Amino acid sequence: MPSIEFDDSKPSWADQVEEEGDEGALPSPKETIKGNIKTVTEYKIDEDGKKFKIVRTFKIETRKASKAVARRKNWKKFGNSEFDAPGPNVATTTVSDDVFMTFVSNKEDLNAQDQDEDPMNKLKGQKIVSCRICKGDHWTTRCPYKDTLGPMQKELAEQLGLSTGEKEKAAAEPEPAQQAPSKTGKYVPPSLRDGGTRRGESMQPNRRADDNATIRVTNLSEDTRETDLQELFRPFGSISRIYLAKDKNTGQSKGFAFISFHRREDAARAIAGVSGFGYDHLILNVEWAK
Amino acid sequence: MKPILLQGHERSITQIKYNREGDLLFSVAKDPVANVWYSVNGERLGTYNGHTGAVWCVDVDWDTKHVLTGSADNSCRLWDCETGKQLALLETSSAVRTCGFDFSGNIIMFSTDKQMGYQCYLNFFDLRDPAQIEDNQPYVSVPCSESKITSAVWGPLGDFVIAGHENGEINQFSAKSGEILKTVKEHTKQINDIQSAVDLTMIITASKDCTAKLFDSTSLDHIKSFKTERPVNSAAISPIMDHVVMGGGQEAMEVTTTSTRIGKFEARFFHAAYEEEFGRVKGHFGPINCVAFHPDGKSYSSGGEDGYTRIHYFDPQYFDFELEA
Repeated sequence: MPSIEFDDSKPSWADQVEEEGDEGALPSPKETIKGNIKTVTEYKIDEDGKKFKIVRTFKIETRKASKAVARRKNWKKFGNSEFDAPGPNVATTTVSDDVFMTFVSNKEDLNAQDQDEDPMNKLKGQKIVSCRICKGDHWTTRCPYKDTLGPMQKELAEQLGLSTGEKEKAAAEPEPAQQAPSKTGKYVPPSLRDGGTRRGESMQPNRRADDNATIRVTNLSEDTRETDLQELFRPFGSISRIYLAKDKNTGQSKGFAFISFHRREDAARAIAGVSGFGYDHLILNVEWAK
Repeated sequence: MKPILLQGHERSITQIKYNREGDLLFSVAKDPVANVWYSVNGERLGTYNGHTGAVWCVDVDWDTKHVLTGSADNSCRLWDCETGKQLALLETSSAVRTCGFDFSGNIIMFSTDKQMGYQCYLNFFDLRDPAQIEDNQPYVSVPCSESKITSAVWGPLGDFVIAGHENGEINQFSAKSGEILKTVKEHTKQINDIQSAVDLTMIITASKDCTAKLFDSTSLDHIKSFKTERPVNSAAISPIMDHVVMGGGQEAMEVTTTSTRIGKFEARFFHAAYEEEFGRVKGHFGPINCVAFHPDGKSYSSGGEDGYTRIHYFDPQYFDFELEA
């Protein structure tokens, strides 16, 4: 395998003494292998004379491969890589930052996102201007009825004994009332907005229903997998989420898990059914998650 | 997931391909060197040195013995996969755009560009007959006068080659006589990439008309369409899930003129049956030029205009995810 190889043989004590003599009182590098975790501890002195301890943890994986693949693993490097040491060369191979697959739940989300990018799209189909004469979607000066309706309104106003200024104001007044329901335009205090009466709804966690139907399972064995839990709890009802706490390095279970059901009744039945249940030589403890 | 970044090229990646078992990953770019990597840890096994121009295409045969590359230096070369030695040099009169081994590894095909007054040709060579290679005489050579071939793959059983053209047409060319068996035109613009499913029953085409389409490879029946708002450079079918991955972005020449829009260079995952997008993966700094699924379906790689190849091993969430229909 081209993976990082290490030397099992210990250096002879004579070499060790020599090395120590060269580099002062640096302890020799150590390698410990515990299960599938290899820890390499090295010591180093930098230019300022400061001592450093470098601890690196590796996970050793054994992969089964077909014969042809295994043979190819032992091929000699060639071309521009001819003189590369075994193992990945940092000049050509690096591990980049974590990236995650962002899941898109439905089409509407996507479309909404695309529209956001173009602010002009938002304004389309909304009234930006309103004519003072006919309340149409254009400037007053461009009004097609400017010559006919305009003087008529003026006359009407004069007959009623109002000044044109006041008339305009009167005409403008109903506007806020009209505008209020539309989303853009004038500021509307939150209390008067659509749904202002539904108090604090948005502040409550979305998962509330979920949390209510979540149970905590403890005293699980180390070998437990998510699939085991799924099998165990599926008979009680549909499960929305399973979280099994696992060790970051070994991938083994830490002995507890949270299971969220879609319905609280199912969760209650699961508690009644599985609590005290013998599973994998241990007795399970199931209760409501806090 | 932590992608493995492969920096073996100085220019943009043109094609990447896994071998049959998926332990090796081949990459070619617009620089003259083809690279081969171990997919498990990203270690570079070697390079195939010899081309003097951009390399447009790469293919590896069934048992990972031979590698075929086609280049803009007007040549198609055959390499020994293990040692990187050049086994054959087939000179052409214009750039080689696509190349491929048939399933037996005995017959190769490649297509040349319509360029410098030369026509686009689709050539077939039989590697079992050394005279053909020495004399550079294909046993079948098909001229395509109408529209040049921009991508091509072998069909099932090695009977024909499925080729996508610059005008959006898809043709089946018989490997025996060179005649056109079937023609469909579902795309309106150039077909950038064609890849087949692991069992060769379906192909997926990626086109400049912002769609990728799934076809039956024998009947060329149009099965599904996947729409985006950008040109699609490459698409691949997952071997284990009903998923399709697509890579694209603006054309390289337009990137600088549309600079305000960033973050458009994701790989996009679609459900093959519902034709709906369900996930995206970011990472490249330029349009993605090619994508490929590992034959075991547990990882995929993408090569971009930025010159990097990225190997992604899927997180468990990917396998658990179910699209709400």
